[in-house]
Amino acid sequence: MAFLPALPSSRLRSRGGEMALSGCWFRFLTRGIRKTLPPAGGSACARAASGLSKDMLPGPYPRTPEERAIAAKKYNMRVEDYEPYADDGMGFGDYPKLPNRSQQERDPWYTWDEPDLRRNWGEPMHWDFDMYIRNRVDTSPSPVEWIRMVKYLGGFIGFMLFMFCLGELFPSYQPVAPKQYPYNNLYLENGGELDKEPPEVIHYEI
Amino acid sequence: MAQYREAPLATRPQTLDPNEYLELNPEQRKAQQERLAIRSRLKLQYLSQLNNPRRTELIEDPALTRWSYARTLNHIYPNFRPSPKTSLLGFVCGVVPLFFWYYVFKTDRDHKEKLIREGMERPFSLSS
Repeated sequence: MAFLPALPSSRLRSRGGEMALSGCWFRFLTRGIRKTLPPAGGSACARAASGLSKDMLPGPYPRTPEERAIAAKKYNMRVEDYEPYADDGMGFGDYPKLPNRSQQERDPWYTWDEPDLRRNWGEPMHWDFDMYIRNRVDTSPSPVEWIRMVKYLGGFIGFMLFMFCLGELFPSYQPVAPKQYPYNNLYLENGGELDKEPPEVIHYEI
Repeated sequence: MAQYREAPLATRPQTLDPNEYLELNPEQRKAQQERLAIRSRLKLQYLSQLNNPRRTELIEDPALTRWSYARTLNHIYPNFRPSPKTSLLGFVCGVVPLFFWYYVFKTDRDHKEKLIREGMERPFSLSS
């Protein structure tokens, strides 16, 4: 194999490319007004040559059938299988729309190139791939239908909430009354005089 | 063919899916073959890199690079376009929470102020 420079992992490289771009913007802003105009020949920004070329990276939404064919080839898909996200300005570009299936649904016994991710090298990744890994969201079939589970859980939570609300509106507790003190409401202890008649205190009502 | 019942939490394997090979028209078969051809080419590329005894660096996966690039702002912002959907989303996520939380907090604080003034609520009471 021809000599290849030691490349860091692909994620670091794309971040390095962005940092080069942002460094270019910084130079743009910090130079004087006269020098910010780009030269007539080409762009003032330089991009690192390592990593994928611009035509291998995702691009804008494909409008013509030729662009669709090029995009399908880029993503290692058949032209008939390739379907980009709808062009409503959400920022997907020409990234393919793959079925929303989690990696847990894939065959555990097939010899995947990456067995933990159940994915082959070069296979187009779902937009939400990091959500569909086996540790996270799972779309495999449930033992009970989804709607029945939703009804059971919703019914239980709704019922409990309803009963707790009723309990807040109509509280029920042991009957309580103000504390009753003996000796005519503690007449002498409260500073009453010895000679005077203490007022009669009746704590009941018939 | 024996009746196969799949395990409770698994989907039926692709090789046992009757749609795979029963009553398949030639177009579907051709599509399967094309997909298999693409997969085999990629597998060959990967395995030749993997088993190359002189390889010293990591195997770069262009699909992974493309995926990670697609999720960065360098790709999302150029493909962003003000459309009815994006404008509505921006309004719902950016403008509505301001007014909503203003009204929630204001109502709650006013109610609490009213209770404190009446004496029904004593947040810093030391005696009880």
